[in-house]
Amino acid sequence: MANYTEQQLDALGELANIGSGTACTALAQMLGRPVDIKVPKVVALPLADAIDAVGAAEEPRTAVKLDIFGDLDGTVLLVFPLDDAATLCGMLGVEPDSEVGLSALGEIGNILGTSYVNALGQMIGMEVEPHPPITTTDMLGAIVSTVLLERDEVGDTALLLDSAMFVEGEQCELSFLLVPSANGVADLLGRLGM
Amino acid sequence: MGETPVRIGELIATRDPDEVLISVGLGSCIGLAMIDRARGIAGLAHVMLPQSPNGAGPLPGRYADHAVPTLLDRMVALGASRAAIEVGMAGGAQMFGGSSSIEVGKRNAEAVTSALGEARLRIKASATGGEKGRTVKVLAAQGVMIVREVASEEVVLIGDLVGAAR
Repeated sequence: MANYTEQQLDALGELANIGSGTACTALAQMLGRPVDIKVPKVVALPLADAIDAVGAAEEPRTAVKLDIFGDLDGTVLLVFPLDDAATLCGMLGVEPDSEVGLSALGEIGNILGTSYVNALGQMIGMEVEPHPPITTTDMLGAIVSTVLLERDEVGDTALLLDSAMFVEGEQCELSFLLVPSANGVADLLGRLGM
Repeated sequence: MGETPVRIGELIATRDPDEVLISVGLGSCIGLAMIDRARGIAGLAHVMLPQSPNGAGPLPGRYADHAVPTLLDRMVALGASRAAIEVGMAGGAQMFGGSSSIEVGKRNAEAVTSALGEARLRIKASATGGEKGRTVKVLAAQGVMIVREVASEEVVLIGDLVGAAR
């Protein structure tokens, strides 16, 4: 996979900003309280560095994975610290660490992921659909590396868009990763005219 | 004691008695360990995919078909005896409940096993498959390989940590 120019990375960051802004609004509506976002990070690094950039590899995290397909192939991944996932379940009135709790997190992933990719799709004229969410709790490095490798078309540079959002007044933060396939990145940049 | 990370696609062999090699958060990847206990030489490769599409490339640890012979060569270059090398492998999980149709983890385990067969190396112990991520540690001086699954205790896969304790 090629290297990216500053302008290309900025454009991808702007896409992530719009996508996560829309997802953030969806989460705020669902919870009935304000949710803030941080400026998205665009990570375009050698694979090992990209995995390190997401966070400490051995830390346990709960993740919701949505594979997306259509005009853009890739994966959307929501990642929660375990305590923050429990807090989120609490706000929704469901028991964390239960089947219902996991399913609630999956549903949050579904709603946020869908609003994120729909916002992207509308902006750049792509039809994108998500597969159903899959939830797991595991080491962060194992989750991220597996998602990056799943497409079996790994280049030297991994690209991912990392947005963080947090619920105001609560210890509840989640990060939101879009991992486009190698072809997906080229398509995205092509649609942006870059 | 410091730990030397062996990150995705990397491969390290050592005869430094203080060195601990570690691959953290293996999902579908494989941690492939080679240990020559008598000579205090050990190596670890963090293998990410089964076959190299176009030759070895700059990261020989990346692909099973190159990682196995390269790690073996590095061990022998440090003075390891081929016949004395004990091999352990861990990882190759089907994360997310094996939802992916291409089953990278399973294919990685098969490719490493088959490359070891071609190199005429026997697997002494392995912990592959399942749905959980793993961390692998190799202690060169003690000739020990340790595996830990997420939210679990460490398990000694090769060697004897208690007997080898200094």
